[in-house]
Amino acid sequence: MSAETGLRVAAEPTLLSARRRARLTRGAAPYALLAPATIVVGAVLGYPLYLLVQLSFQKYGLPQLLTHHGEWTGLSNYTRILHDSQFWHVLLRTVTFTAANVSLTMLFGTLIALLLARLGSFMRLLLTTGLVLVWATPVVVSVNVWLWMVDYEFGVLNWTLTKLHAGNFVHHDWFANTLSGFGVITAVVVWGAIPFVAITLYAALSQVPEELHEAARIDGASFVQVFRFVTMPLLKPIFIILVSLSIIWDFQVFNQVWIMRDGRPTNDYYLMSIYSFVESFRVSEYGLGSAIALTMVLVMLVVSFFYVRQMVRAGEAE
Amino acid sequence: MKIRLVAATIVAVALAVAASTASGASKATSITVWLQNDAQNGWADTVAQATKDFQKEHPGVNVDVQYQTWTDHLTKFDATIAGGNAPDVIELGNTETTKYMANGVFADLSAQKSSFPNSGTWLKGLKDSCTYQGKLFCVPYYTGARAVIYRKDFYAKAGIKGTPTTLSAFVVDNQKLMKKYGKDANFSAFYFPGKNWYASMAFVYDWGGKIATTRKGKWVGTLDSPQAITALTTLKSIVKSTSRASLTTDESHPYPSVVFAKDKVASFVGNGWEWPYTLDPKVGNPALADVMGAYPMPSHVKGRYMPTFLGGSDLGIPVTSKNKDLAADWIKAFTSTSAMTQIAKAGNIPNTTTLLKVNAADPKLAPFAEAAKFTWFIPVTPNWANVENANVLQNMLVNIFTGKQSVKAATTAASKQITSILNASA
Repeated sequence: MSAETGLRVAAEPTLLSARRRARLTRGAAPYALLAPATIVVGAVLGYPLYLLVQLSFQKYGLPQLLTHHGEWTGLSNYTRILHDSQFWHVLLRTVTFTAANVSLTMLFGTLIALLLARLGSFMRLLLTTGLVLVWATPVVVSVNVWLWMVDYEFGVLNWTLTKLHAGNFVHHDWFANTLSGFGVITAVVVWGAIPFVAITLYAALSQVPEELHEAARIDGASFVQVFRFVTMPLLKPIFIILVSLSIIWDFQVFNQVWIMRDGRPTNDYYLMSIYSFVESFRVSEYGLGSAIALTMVLVMLVVSFFYVRQMVRAGEAE
Repeated sequence: MKIRLVAATIVAVALAVAASTASGASKATSITVWLQNDAQNGWADTVAQATKDFQKEHPGVNVDVQYQTWTDHLTKFDATIAGGNAPDVIELGNTETTKYMANGVFADLSAQKSSFPNSGTWLKGLKDSCTYQGKLFCVPYYTGARAVIYRKDFYAKAGIKGTPTTLSAFVVDNQKLMKKYGKDANFSAFYFPGKNWYASMAFVYDWGGKIATTRKGKWVGTLDSPQAITALTTLKSIVKSTSRASLTTDESHPYPSVVFAKDKVASFVGNGWEWPYTLDPKVGNPALADVMGAYPMPSHVKGRYMPTFLGGSDLGIPVTSKNKDLAADWIKAFTSTSAMTQIAKAGNIPNTTTLLKVNAADPKLAPFAEAAKFTWFIPVTPNWANVENANVLQNMLVNIFTGKQSVKAATTAASKQITSILNASA
């Protein structure tokens, strides 16, 4: 209380300058408020990123690890990647993998969100609980559970399929064929990604005024038409965000492949993240690994940029 | 695992801080030892005993033994070097040591060599894997030879007398087993996971092939040689007709002994320790004790065995360790004659020739010691570890066994990659 009166006493004589100061502070206040977050982000993200960029222009192997000093080599890491045919294979595989995973995640996420909006409260609670449980399961745990299910010797999936007379699945190796292997991996990734998309979309759906749907239906619109012309345009901003986030996440899938292939994936299971990890941590070429990681981020930025621009333009056209 | 490592580090740091403030001196009270989980599964008691013996000389010094797995121990090791908290003692496979010795990661032990137990009679193969440019950088730990571990009862019921002494007899016997038991889709006469490159390369070396060789001072991958192609083609047909193991997993996912213990496998190529491991009630089946046997893998040449991979482990002290003397003393305790005898009895070949009689006298160890008379080893160069870590051989084997590539195409691609990795500037 004494502090308050003290302040007032101090403020009164200089009323004019105080007003000017207030205007100034009003301009500076947002920045002051942003400062702590900026500093934290700068420290935990900016600095490592700076080191990563630096590393990508260096030769950094075991001897450099011991001395903590890299050897500058200019662009050599980057030229090495671009001349490596494996890099282009991996890039293509990663882009295809991301496209498939994002599409499937969005498709099933949207369907489940629409289902949630139509369910009775008990079933909705049940489904939401299920989704949250999936979401809450740590990746390492869930991947191992899935891995056991598709296990070559003792897996329940092979057993069930055989019992159902779907064919002879005794000792079926899901990973012998890369396509079926990636099928399993996609299933795990999509399964894990659906809850976030479904719950977010359900939240967004519940914000769409029911009158709009009603009006459309009175005008004779079918279910698909209502979704296409009423729901979709309203949800578009959310879709853009969800798809962008999904692209970012699926582009960097690592754990699912790594764990499912016992930490030693053969090179037909390399995604960009795995390729980068193997080059840095397995072969102890940390500079090269950093260059791959940065290239991966660049590719992701370009893909996301074109996607967002396309979506925004499509919105303007309508 | 990361969390555990972080937690372990925090605890270690906390302990170190607590200790240094308590005693007021800079005397270390804790050393960290990284051993592979083979020790945890097979001879954890010996490890505990070594620590006890060590602590008799150094009372109050805590020994933190952390068990690692082969898949990621080097990754973690690199990370701890960068972070400045590398262990004081680390076990490295004898194929991994050259890279680390050449890059100056290990402390030079040449001056104190004679202070290590049995150092005059260390196995040559292991000692070589600890020597770089004439200096000693690590201490031989143990080695193992692989042999065929088999079911005597299955062999007898399939009408097989004795054990095969040539590869063609081995193939015939396996066909008999498949005829007798093969209707069960889970049965394998000869269980062979597709990524088992140690056992696969044995075929290559048996035919006189090599992974790589030096020509005019440069390394050349030679898995595309006619000998290697013949060997791998033979192996492919053996695997195809007698094994129902996954073609895309390695010999530790699952351990063949685990499948063997479930009565569906007549034989597999295994290390000495896999015999007792099969009988371990926790992971295997003790009831098999009377029906198990082992014999050296026969060669395609009569009167010889197929060369077995001279796999083994060494113990090194990273240059970053602040307690090198304590670390060396712990290694001495762990490689003492009595500890080595225990390790031999757990199914391994000890690090000294003076103890080989332990193996020869034990029917469960003798076949492996016998197999060790013919061995092969990987190309000794600092870059070899990168060939292993880039999974070159495993990729090649999976492509061959699954039929994704012909033997010729797969070996040509692998040879090219091996040439490029081995010649990369260090």
